[in-house]
Amino acid sequence: MADQANFADDAMQYTKQLYAAAMRMTRNPADAEDLVQETFLKAYRAYDSFTAGTNLKAWLYRILTNTYINKYRKASRRPDEVDLGNVEDLYLYRRIGSEESVEASRTTEDRVLDGLVESDIKKAVEALPENFRIPVLLADLEGLSYQEIADILEIPIGTVMSRLHRGRKAMQKALWEFASKRGLLPENAERP
Amino acid sequence: MTDNDCVDTGASNCDEAMERLYEYLDEEMDDATAEGIRSHLSDCGGCHDGFDFEKRLKVVVRERLAEEVPQSFINRLRSALDDEAARRY
Repeated sequence: MADQANFADDAMQYTKQLYAAAMRMTRNPADAEDLVQETFLKAYRAYDSFTAGTNLKAWLYRILTNTYINKYRKASRRPDEVDLGNVEDLYLYRRIGSEESVEASRTTEDRVLDGLVESDIKKAVEALPENFRIPVLLADLEGLSYQEIADILEIPIGTVMSRLHRGRKAMQKALWEFASKRGLLPENAERP
Repeated sequence: MTDNDCVDTGASNCDEAMERLYEYLDEEMDDATAEGIRSHLSDCGGCHDGFDFEKRLKVVVRERLAEEVPQSFINRLRSALDDEAARRY
């Protein structure tokens, strides 16, 4: 059993990460602040039911995610099962280099990876439908394990894997469009 | 090397490696399976370069999703928790 008096010291170290996730969930700072604050207050009130020494970070993410889903999800109770279409593996990689030499390909890769700015990455994540966006955030922003994500979202681990796989590929498609707009890609860039 | 080198090791190995790309990068596989993938990557330049790019992209995504938390919000959060504590005790 965790001691409520220690809550702020224990939990506030995760503020930055929770806020970053909340920003991509709600897509605006005012709602992100409200979401994080509500998460902390709920966690504080329930802290004596949390087992000290277990995974506090995952517990906070569970509260954040559930609060977001209950409060901000649009009218429908079910997550929208949007079909992301069939995006091939290594989508971005295959489109950023047709250079003859390893060195030239590497230069193009560096240019794309360096040239995609924060807002490109954030917009690419925000464009994902919610049932893909949340697993991608929990894995890529937070580095939670598949099992932790499955527990948080109450879905089978196979579903976590499939949503991550498809969500990340869809994100790469969006990143490729940003890279293209920014002129980071060589002409006719496609690997065989 | 280019991804044309994939043909040297047989497409099925490449397909299998690609199918498990994210499990490998997310460190979600057992040691023996990861060793099998590593062995394929050392033989197959195409898969090696593709995996390497995905690994670098994962780092870039993580770094560029970071946010600065406004100090005003941290202050508000602290006082909300203090108020809550005062209400309870």
